[in-house]
Amino acid sequence: MRYVVGYTANARGHDAVHLAVALARNHDASLDLVLVIPEDSPFNAVYPPETGYNDILNEQAQRWLDEGLAQVPADVTARAHIRRGDSEAQTLIEVAVEMGAAALVIGATTGGLLKRFTIGSVASALLHSSPVPVALAPHGYQRTEPITRLSCGFGTRPGADELLDVAVESARDRGLPLRLVSLLALDGGNSPGLADAAWVHAADRLAADQLAAVGGSAAATPEPEIVVAQGRTIEEAVDRLDWEDGEILLIGSSRLAQHRVTFLGSTANRILRALPVPMIVVPRDYSRQSS
Amino acid sequence: MSTAPKTVQSKETSSLSEKGLKAGSVGLIGAVVIGVSCIAPAYTLTAALGPTVSEVGVQLPAIFLVGFIPMLLVALGYRELNNAMPDAGTSFTWATRAFGPWIGWMGGWGLIAATIIVLSNLAAVAVDFFYLMLGQIFSNPELADLSKILPLNIATTLVFIALACWISYRGMETTKGVQYVLVAFQLLVLGWFAVSAFIHVANGTAFDATTISPDWFNPFAVDSFSSFAAGVSLSIFIYWGWDVTLTMNEETKNPEKTPGRAATVTVLVIVIIYMTIALATLSFAGVGETGLGVGNPENQSSIFAVLAGPVMGPFAILMSLAILSSSAASLQSTFVSPARTMLAMGHYRALSPRFGKISPTYKSPSVATVAAAIAAAGFYVITRTVSENALWDTITALGMMICFYYGITALACVWFFRAEAFSNARSFFFKFLAPLLGGVILLVMFVKTAMDSMDPEYGSGSSVGGVGMVFVLGMGVILLGVAVMLVMYRLRPEFFKGKVL
Repeated sequence: MRYVVGYTANARGHDAVHLAVALARNHDASLDLVLVIPEDSPFNAVYPPETGYNDILNEQAQRWLDEGLAQVPADVTARAHIRRGDSEAQTLIEVAVEMGAAALVIGATTGGLLKRFTIGSVASALLHSSPVPVALAPHGYQRTEPITRLSCGFGTRPGADELLDVAVESARDRGLPLRLVSLLALDGGNSPGLADAAWVHAADRLAADQLAAVGGSAAATPEPEIVVAQGRTIEEAVDRLDWEDGEILLIGSSRLAQHRVTFLGSTANRILRALPVPMIVVPRDYSRQSS
Repeated sequence: MSTAPKTVQSKETSSLSEKGLKAGSVGLIGAVVIGVSCIAPAYTLTAALGPTVSEVGVQLPAIFLVGFIPMLLVALGYRELNNAMPDAGTSFTWATRAFGPWIGWMGGWGLIAATIIVLSNLAAVAVDFFYLMLGQIFSNPELADLSKILPLNIATTLVFIALACWISYRGMETTKGVQYVLVAFQLLVLGWFAVSAFIHVANGTAFDATTISPDWFNPFAVDSFSSFAAGVSLSIFIYWGWDVTLTMNEETKNPEKTPGRAATVTVLVIVIIYMTIALATLSFAGVGETGLGVGNPENQSSIFAVLAGPVMGPFAILMSLAILSSSAASLQSTFVSPARTMLAMGHYRALSPRFGKISPTYKSPSVATVAAAIAAAGFYVITRTVSENALWDTITALGMMICFYYGITALACVWFFRAEAFSNARSFFFKFLAPLLGGVILLVMFVKTAMDSMDPEYGSGSSVGGVGMVFVLGMGVILLGVAVMLVMYRLRPEFFKGKVL
């Protein structure tokens, strides 16, 4: 299994490498660090003309990638690639698709004051168009130990069941405890009754999954925990939950997404801003490739 | 940590030229559009037409034609160097390889200075037309006059420079579509101006209807060699940008034929525009020194700002828009050049290595781009406060600076290729004869203009301590370069000992 890391030689890129290492450990995955350098448009009409900047930039990119590889510990395999493209996000998606990557790992951005995630333009573009899951490292993510728990945001909306399936399978593959979290903002017109409905829905779905996997390795997986968190706002709900350091949150893409493309809905966006741990946004109707 | 075995560099899969441009993406029309947009004819005309007329009078068309010759000769040499030694430092690197670090350093300085001066001039022209356009939009001439209030003018210009710097730093680029629209719009508006001017002449409503005479095309009718030299160095400026088409290569659909054809078509288009506008302007307004006359010192700094209204009537706003948009686009793309030259000089340790820094986020030269903006802003503030007619003087100083670094570049070509100069006819012409002639012409123009400009009455007539403003600007910039070079020699002698390049 391969993870494509959108690497830049700054704090954002380092966060991404750390998260990618954490995801790859104990999971037989290799990393592909991809540094995108811009492709000049000849129509930009640079004058006086010169032809050597590209060489200097390439040299610099190689050095940057060497630094990036140096951050990857010896037990994780990593390769480095320089790619050219007009748009960084588009190029990363192309590389991820071409390599058959299981996920794209990027850093959210630097300098988010107070908020843990501020979405940079590249991250934002990826979250709106990636056909593969996008893993976002929060600002200043240092941890490279393996992931310890998988959380999955769930609801009752269409697409939630598929996401749940992805989460259950992932947890099983990685041998991780699974926690289902439902985040409710009461000021959004959500009644406390909705929480119960979500809980019941998730429990039913899980039961169905367990039934389907009878006889398989599923029997060995511990029973998932189901938590409903409420708050005046989504942000408050996120804050009220306890998060392990090694936790990662899986959330689904918005209903507005085209088939198999991620789209960060407004709720997911707000969760993201308050979340202290990394998260993975899974495209709608995404089915996991078996490793 | 041992990482070496893990490193695998993937091969580039997309078809890219060595410049990092998408290969085979530019056709003939595209190349011509790029050439015209680099020249930015609406901007060059409004900036240079007045100062040139003040030097050569009605022989304006003749000088515009003659001015192309040295540009062509030098550009041929530039192309040879660019093919033999592709390098971000261009003139700096080539002159260093040919003549050693000292002349090379000054060649690089001349290139940076020329682009810095043009940046500050572009920003100033953009600001003038910005306020002029506001005045036209709200039919309130007082708004247009705001650009004459010195502190406001300087503040607005600095904002324009800062914006262009930020856009360039972020690596944002003018796209194909935008460039096509900008160029088409410029050509359309210039054509409109010319047709309207001729209609006024035909209807007898012109300001000073002047009959076109064959004498206007005779460069030998210019009254003195001084005027001739000044006129030529100004008209180098109006063709500056044309040679971009010659250096195109893999990014064109047909690298064998497209660049040559595009260069030919571009120069034809440009010469037709320049001739038409020159004739239209002269026949409409004459070269008189009063009123709308092109010889009027009041009109020198920006001829279209004065004439577009009387000639085009209510549609003059289109001219403002054309010049504003094209100079804004040029402002952004011109930032790339001094930044990359400084980056290369930092890279080769001819400047502090800090100038060689590349932004990890935007992959553009970071320190060098900001330094270019600070230099352009500083240059503008100084000329604007010292000179009564800053735009006029900076354009003349710019012409000098182009002659300086282009002259050095052309001679670098001759010297660098001296061993193969006589090996065949092609080498003899492109690597020896053409750049030699072009380089000598430009350096002669440079020396002549420099000497003449010591006269306090030269150019706009501004002077500092009894010496002409143009001389102070031009020589000041070159002497500053010498001073910085000596400091660099003390700080980092390895480049000057020839250990780097």
